[in-house]
Amino acid sequence: MLRIEHLTKRYGRIPVVEDVSLSLAPGEIFGFIGPNGAGKTTTIRMIAGLLAPSAGRVRVGGIDMMREPQRAKRMIGLVPDRPYLYEKLTGREFLRFTTDIYGVPADRFPERAERLLGIFSLEERANELIEAYSHGMKQRLIMAAAMLHEPPLLVVDEPMVGLDPRGIKRVRELFRELAAGGTAIFMSTHTLSLAEDLCHRIGIIHRGRLLATGSMAELTRSASLEREGLEAIFLLLTREDEMEGPP
Amino acid sequence: MSPVACLLRPRWLQFRNAGRSQTSRGLRSLLLILLGALFWTGAYLLTHRVLAYFRSVPEIGDILAHKLLSMVLVTFLVLLLFSAVLTCLAKLYLSRDLPLVHSLPVRGEQIFLARWIESTADSAWMVMLYTLPVLVAYGQVYEAGFLFYCSILLALLPLCLIASVLAALAVMLAVILLPASRIRSIFVFLGLSTTIALYLAFRMLQPERLVNPETSATVLLYLQNLATPASPLLPSTWAFDALRSALDGRWQEALFHAGLAWSAALFLTLLNVQVARRLYFKGYSRSQAAAVRLFRGASPAWMRLLDPLPGPWRALVGKEFKTFWRDQTQWSQLFLLAALVVIYLYNFSVLPLQRSPMQTLYLQNLLSFLNMALAAFVLTAISARFAFPSVSVEGSAFWIVRCAPISLRAFLWIKFGTYLLPLLVLAETLVVATNRLLHVTPFMMGLSTVTLLFITPAIVGLAVGLGAAYPDFAAENPTQAVTGFGGLIFMILSAAYIGAVTVLEAGPVYTLFMSGMKSRSLSGWQMVWVVGSFALVAALSALTLLLPMRFGERRLASEATRSGSHDP
Repeated sequence: MLRIEHLTKRYGRIPVVEDVSLSLAPGEIFGFIGPNGAGKTTTIRMIAGLLAPSAGRVRVGGIDMMREPQRAKRMIGLVPDRPYLYEKLTGREFLRFTTDIYGVPADRFPERAERLLGIFSLEERANELIEAYSHGMKQRLIMAAAMLHEPPLLVVDEPMVGLDPRGIKRVRELFRELAAGGTAIFMSTHTLSLAEDLCHRIGIIHRGRLLATGSMAELTRSASLEREGLEAIFLLLTREDEMEGPP
Repeated sequence: MSPVACLLRPRWLQFRNAGRSQTSRGLRSLLLILLGALFWTGAYLLTHRVLAYFRSVPEIGDILAHKLLSMVLVTFLVLLLFSAVLTCLAKLYLSRDLPLVHSLPVRGEQIFLARWIESTADSAWMVMLYTLPVLVAYGQVYEAGFLFYCSILLALLPLCLIASVLAALAVMLAVILLPASRIRSIFVFLGLSTTIALYLAFRMLQPERLVNPETSATVLLYLQNLATPASPLLPSTWAFDALRSALDGRWQEALFHAGLAWSAALFLTLLNVQVARRLYFKGYSRSQAAAVRLFRGASPAWMRLLDPLPGPWRALVGKEFKTFWRDQTQWSQLFLLAALVVIYLYNFSVLPLQRSPMQTLYLQNLLSFLNMALAAFVLTAISARFAFPSVSVEGSAFWIVRCAPISLRAFLWIKFGTYLLPLLVLAETLVVATNRLLHVTPFMMGLSTVTLLFITPAIVGLAVGLGAAYPDFAAENPTQAVTGFGGLIFMILSAAYIGAVTVLEAGPVYTLFMSGMKSRSLSGWQMVWVVGSFALVAALSALTLLLPMRFGERRLASEATRSGSHDP
C-alpha cells in the first residue's frame, strides 16, 4: 500500500531524512518511532505530499506522490499532531467540507458522518463552531475527517496527543478494526507502549536514518537483547545521541 | 530590570533578530524604504507648493495656511484614534501570546502598561512619520527656526499619547460592557461608529457648497468662517496653537500650549493605569470565555445554491462564505465598505453640473470616464482587503488544502471565482449607479460596464495571485497580510494597470464621443486605432489576470513543498 524508496530530505546542506526505504502492506500497522528531531514528522510530510523530497520517492497504492499528487492524496487520510482546523465551521460542516473536497458522493455523507461522529463521541456538539472545541475534540474531529473518505492508508502523527484515556482506548480499538478491514496505518509516536501493543512492525529512526525495522521479535533479535521490550531497544539504538550530546 | 521593561524586551529582540536572520528580505526592505521616502518627499513637495501659493496671496493666504494646519491636526488625531483603537484591542485582548504573558508572575497593570506602550508605538509611528513632511514644509515656507522643529515633536507626541489613552479606555470599557465571549463584537461596534462618524463628518463638511458660490453670502462671512478656531477642548487645538505660536516665533505661548497637551496626556496616562488596575484583567478574563454556540443546526439555507457546483468548489466556496459571515471582525469592514459606497454615490448626486461653465454633456461623460478609473481604485482597495489575504487567511489550517486531492492551481482559481462575483457586482453597481446620476450617453454607459468586465477579473486575479505569492500564514488578522511587501507590489501594479487602461482608452473614447456628438464617421486610421486600443486593453487585462495567478501558484507550490513551513 505504501512504498518509500531511498527517501531523502535536506534543508540546504543539512540532511533531515536520509535514504529511508520501507513498505507497508494493506492491513498492516507500522509504528515509526525516534527521538525528537529524528525526522519522523518530515517523513510523514513527504508521505502525505506536503513536502517535496530532495531525493527518492513515495508511492501510495502504486501511485507516485510527486507525479500524480491528487490521485495519491485521495488514498491517504492524514492526522497531524497539531489540530489546526477552520475554526469558523461547525464540526459537521468540516466533515461535509472533507467529503466534498475528497469527492465522496454526497448521498454517503449523512451515514458516514453520523457513524464517525458517534465513534468519536462528537455527535452532541457537531453543530457547534470548532473554535469552541477543546484540543482533544479537535483531534478527534481530525481523525473522523481523515477516515471519512475511507482511505486505504492512514498516516497518523502522534495519534494520542490531547486525547483522554477513553479516547485513547477507543482509537486503539478503532485502529485494530481498520487494520482488520485492510487499511494500512503508518503511525509516528513517542508512546512506546502503544507502538509495542498495536503495531505489526516498528521502524526506529534516528538522525534521519532508519536504524532498524521489523516486528518486536525481530528487533529484539537484531539488538541482541536478552529480554524483550521496545523501550530497551529504543534506548540502545539511540543512546549515541546522549553520549555525544553536550554536557 | 523592571517587569514592564522585561515584558517589552521580547518585542525589541524579535525586531532585532528579524533584521539579523532574514537576509533575503534586504532587497524588499530597501524597496519599501525607497517607496516610503518617495511618498514622504512627494507629500513634502506638494505641501510646500500649496503653502508657498497661500503665502503669495495677501490677507487670506495665512488664514488658509492656518486652516489647513488645523485640519491636518484634526485628521491626525482622528487617524491616531482609529488606529489606536484597533491596535489596543489586538494588543490587549486578542494577541496569541497573551495566555503566556498572563501566566507570568507580573501584576495586571504592568502587563497592561507594557502592552499599551507597544500599542501606542505601533499605532502612532506611521501616522507621525507621514505627518512630518507636511509640518516640515510649514517650517520651510514660513522660515521658522530650529525650535519650531523641536516643537513639532513637543506638540505631536502628547497627541499620540492622548489618542492611545482614549482608545485603551474605550476598549477596556467596551470589553467589560459587552457580553462575555463576544469580544469580537467590538469590531462591529467600531465599524458602526466609524461609519456614523464618517457620515456625520461628511455632512458637516458639505463639500458641495464649496463649488456652489450661491450659498456663500459674502466674502467676509467666508473669511470669518475660515478664521474661526476649533474647540479649545480638542487636543488637536492645543497642538495647533503650539505650532502656530512656534511658527510665529512666540516661544512662551508655544510652550504653554504644548504644556497643556502634555499635562492632559500625563494625567490621562495615570488615569489609564488606574482604570487598568481595576478593569484590565477582569476584561481579559471575560474575553477568554468559550465561544458561544451560535450556529446550532444545519448550514444556512442559501448554501444549497452551491449544490450544483463540483465537490471541491462547493467545499471551498462554502467554507469561504461561512468563515466570512461568522467572523465578526469582517463585519466592521463591511460597514466601512457600505459607508464608502454611500459617500461615493452621494458625491455624484450633489455635483452641480448644471452650473458648470463647461458644456454639460461633455462634462458628464468626462466624469463618467474618470469615474471608471476611480471605481477601479475603489476595487483595488477592496481587493487588497478581501481578495489579497484570501490565501493567507487559511493560516495554520492550510495543511488541509495541501494534503487534499486538489491542485494548488484549482485552489487558487476557486479563490478567484469566490471573490470575482461579489466584486464584479459591486464594481458594476457603482459604475451604473453613478452613470445614472450623471445621465451619461448610452455609449458611455456601455463602455464603462464593459471596461469593468475586463478590469475586475484582472484586479481580483492580481490580488489572489500576489496574495498567494507572498502569503502570511502567521498573520493574526487578514489586514496584516496586505501590509507587507506583496501588498505593496499589488497596489503599485494595480495602479499601473488602471493607469495603462485609462491611457489606452482615453484617446479612442474621446474620438468616438466627439464623432458621435458631431455626427461624423471615423476615418479608416481612426477605426484601426480605436479597435487596436481596445484590443490592447483586453490583452493587458488577460495578462494582468493570468500572469500573477501563475506566479502565485508556482511560488506557493515551491515555497510550501520546499520548506514545508505551512504544514502541520
